Amino acid sequence: MNKKSFWKKITDSRDASLVLVLIVLLAVIEILSPSFLSFNNVRQIFLNNALTLLMALGMLCVMLTGGIDISITSILAFAGMTVGLLQKYDVLHNTLLLFVIGAAIGLCCGMLNGIVIAKGKVAPIICTMGFMYIWRGMAYVISNNAWASGKDVSGFSDFGKDGAAGPYLILLAAYILFFIVMRWTRFGRRFYAVGSNKEAARISGINVARTIAAAYAVMGLLAGISGALSVSIYASAQPNMQYGKEMDVIAACVIGGISMNGGRGSVAGTFLGAMIIAIIAKALPLVGIDAITQNLVKGIIILAVVSLNVFTQRAINRQNLGRREI
Amino acid sequence: MAGKSGRAISAAPKDGLRSRILSWEGALVLIFLAVQIFGVSISPNYNFTNVLREMPKYLAEIFMLFGMACILILGDIDISVGSIVCLSATMACFAGNAGAPFPVVVLVCLGIGLLCGMVNGFLAIKLQELPTMIITLGTQIIFRGIAEVTLKSGGSVSMEDVAGLMQMGKKLGPFPLSLFFVVLTAVIFSVLLNRTVFGRELYAVGANKTAAYYAGIEVQKDRFICYSLLGGLAGVCGIFLLASLYGANTTTGSGFEMEVIAMCVFGGIATTGGKGNLTGAFIAAFVIVCIRIALGQRNINTQLILVIIGAMLIISVLLPTISNGLRAKKQKR
Repeated sequence: MNKKSFWKKITDSRDASLVLVLIVLLAVIEILSPSFLSFNNVRQIFLNNALTLLMALGMLCVMLTGGIDISITSILAFAGMTVGLLQKYDVLHNTLLLFVIGAAIGLCCGMLNGIVIAKGKVAPIICTMGFMYIWRGMAYVISNNAWASGKDVSGFSDFGKDGAAGPYLILLAAYILFFIVMRWTRFGRRFYAVGSNKEAARISGINVARTIAAAYAVMGLLAGISGALSVSIYASAQPNMQYGKEMDVIAACVIGGISMNGGRGSVAGTFLGAMIIAIIAKALPLVGIDAITQNLVKGIIILAVVSLNVFTQRAINRQNLGRREI
Repeated sequence: MAGKSGRAISAAPKDGLRSRILSWEGALVLIFLAVQIFGVSISPNYNFTNVLREMPKYLAEIFMLFGMACILILGDIDISVGSIVCLSATMACFAGNAGAPFPVVVLVCLGIGLLCGMVNGFLAIKLQELPTMIITLGTQIIFRGIAEVTLKSGGSVSMEDVAGLMQMGKKLGPFPLSLFFVVLTAVIFSVLLNRTVFGRELYAVGANKTAAYYAGIEVQKDRFICYSLLGGLAGVCGIFLLASLYGANTTTGSGFEMEVIAMCVFGGIATTGGKGNLTGAFIAAFVIVCIRIALGQRNINTQLILVIIGAMLIISVLLPTISNGLRAKKQKR
């Protein structure tokens, strides 16, 4: 294999070009601030972005089917608040069981999303907007103006506190599982099939409605787990937790090359997209830029990445057109 | 042809009293009346004067309803309006504190809003391949980012000279001044959508973009105008918000975009484009405002309103599917 085809391979694969972007980014930051890639720093980055990283996997499934889910942080708050209150009122203190409860609540919420969207034929953004209000409101209602503090969740927070292995293990397991499922199993490939062409998928025997519902159920499941994880990491549960952060998850997916029209995206891309945002956010103060510009920079990066995508796609189309004329 | 009524709940012919009552707008009027009865029954203070007195703080975001309706009818979406409100209100505060006279402050607020809307419109027509959700997600973060940078670490600013803002918060008889402006905007946009070529073009574009293009409609120009209009209205929202808050911070207007879209959708405007009208959205907005006021008066956990709005939204969008299903079952039998 000659060098040219290797270069072409990199520019053709979005994931590879994202890796390239990440390496350049890390190199620049490392030169400007030599201690950036220390073990401690990298660990912190993963811990601070564990929730986004985890939920981005679910958003991948949803966006592959051509949908979107903006109710995730509300599901997270509802599940997290339940987990927090169960401990506050001394009902339950078993870490594993609490995670299972969080996951189960998330799964139910996600399935409800899925049923309304797939069976009720409601636009995904509208349905999930409705549930965004409902679950956030429910989190407030069940909390009854109280919140679970660090003292209430003391045993549970050992699982996710700074230095514990828990969050990393969950992330690692989730990414390995999704990598295999999305690549080599029927369950995963169905999302791609439905997202690329619904009609073709239906004719080839895929139950489209069930596949779409499954995507939202998976998303809900991960949001529920994130809810429990959030309580564990931040050692508190408030009804307004992670408010508005669903857009961060969507932004990570968009930067990671997942198409909003469905059918295009990968687990590796999701990971890279989330990491690029996380690293830039962490690096800004280290290279001497005020942390307050974080959001501004993030927005500019999102627009830059998506418009770059559009321009390269236009160039490719033009090239293909030229080739056809010969 | 683009339907007059956004959401059909009956198969009855399109004219006659029966269909008028069974149209979604008719149903909304009934819901509005039901909300009034609900309000009176749960709160002793729920009466005409009190409702009007508490209305101004909820009125500001209704301005954006009309622009959002245009955008949704086009088949697009704009989730950056909350950030535009934040940015324009912030800039207006800084302009006022720098000594600008009040009319200039108003102009700054509207101008910043219009400018942000034009940025959205420009990006939307230059990057046509992208869903507008992504573009406005980017600008949503950028506009609020600019406001955050301007506000620096303190994160909030308050207006020093509030004389002008007090004037805006005044009342004409029992009615707050902002209500007149809302109604005026509603009339203007209603004429614009139903009685002008531009308005009918929006329905055509929303129903079928390609067909509209081949019929000679300047699709991209219309989209740009709609985004600019919405941006300008976000500026209007900003100045009226200042009239009740006298200041801005980094979270000003957050979540407004979803509330406005929810009002539109609840009012029968389809996000797929080409369907719905302003009347429905207008009534829906006041249904939500009245529920808020009623629950607020009883001091019921105000977040319960979120559950109610969410449930109403989902039930209303599920209605057509349910009624279609029932009709299909009837025909089978």
